[in-house]
Amino acid sequence: MSTMFADTLLIVFISVCTALLAEGITWVLVYRTDKYKRLKAEVEKQSKKLEKKKETITESAGRQQKKKIERQEEKLKNNNRDLSMVRMKSMFAIGFCFTALMGMFNSIFDGRVVAKLPFTPLSYIQGLSHRNLLGDDTTDCSFIFLYILCTMSIRQNIQKILGLAPSRAATKQAK
Amino acid sequence: MSGGRRKEEPPQPLLANGALKVSVWSKVLRSDAAWEDKDEFLDVIYWFRQIIAVVLGVIWGVLPLRGFLGIAGFCLINAGVLYLYFSNYLQIDEEEYGGTWELTKEGFMTSFALFMVCVAGNFTAGHLDHLLHCHPL
Repeated sequence: MSTMFADTLLIVFISVCTALLAEGITWVLVYRTDKYKRLKAEVEKQSKKLEKKKETITESAGRQQKKKIERQEEKLKNNNRDLSMVRMKSMFAIGFCFTALMGMFNSIFDGRVVAKLPFTPLSYIQGLSHRNLLGDDTTDCSFIFLYILCTMSIRQNIQKILGLAPSRAATKQAK
Repeated sequence: MSGGRRKEEPPQPLLANGALKVSVWSKVLRSDAAWEDKDEFLDVIYWFRQIIAVVLGVIWGVLPLRGFLGIAGFCLINAGVLYLYFSNYLQIDEEEYGGTWELTKEGFMTSFALFMVCVAGNFTAGHLDHLLHCHPL
């Protein structure tokens, strides 16, 4: 098997492992805590309730009803903020780990073409896709570009498979 | 064919937030299935997109389909197939889910990234195989 294709597979494998590592760290520091479970359940319940209320409200709804919705939105915003604070612990730990890991992988794969792309990326993406690579062939793919693509695809799918992705209602109300 | 729906099934519990029970997949190909849980239906759309991304990524990488034509083709097929599925086959009311755009957006970026990984991987494997055959030692 050629070195380049082996590198491609290795990077996909690294991406799976780092996604699992990130979820593992988050589980240890955050997901298994009672505070997080309580807050998450509260946020999901409130989000669904608020969404249902907003669907049924009409233009002619009374001021009192609108005020009630505003109060519920405020309560939900506070709970979302508390939830983010709880997750902050794991974000720091993951950030620290990943900075070290990325430094290591970048030096391992420095200057190596890890895949060939069947197209030439747009010029402002070439800075990433052709990072630290010799030559002018812009279809050469660097480690960081492939790793980013893998992470974007694999991490969310792993979160969904493990049942750790935030609910859609909660995500929508948090915006 | 009768346009009416069958009697409603008892709600099948989801696994938490995104994974689907086997029983959900049995509803997927039934045009008269009832989708009481919106999240359940959106998860089906999401996973269908990922499957399409892997399949097209492998085909596009093996052919290979070069240039932005391949990417544009993926976007059209991904959006088009799912649109035909939920609009024509299942005949669901898109407004219940926030409109056609919300259904089209569901899982699109993740599937696009997955498609890119699959196409790059398969193209790399095919490209090197081609080089080996063109330049025998």
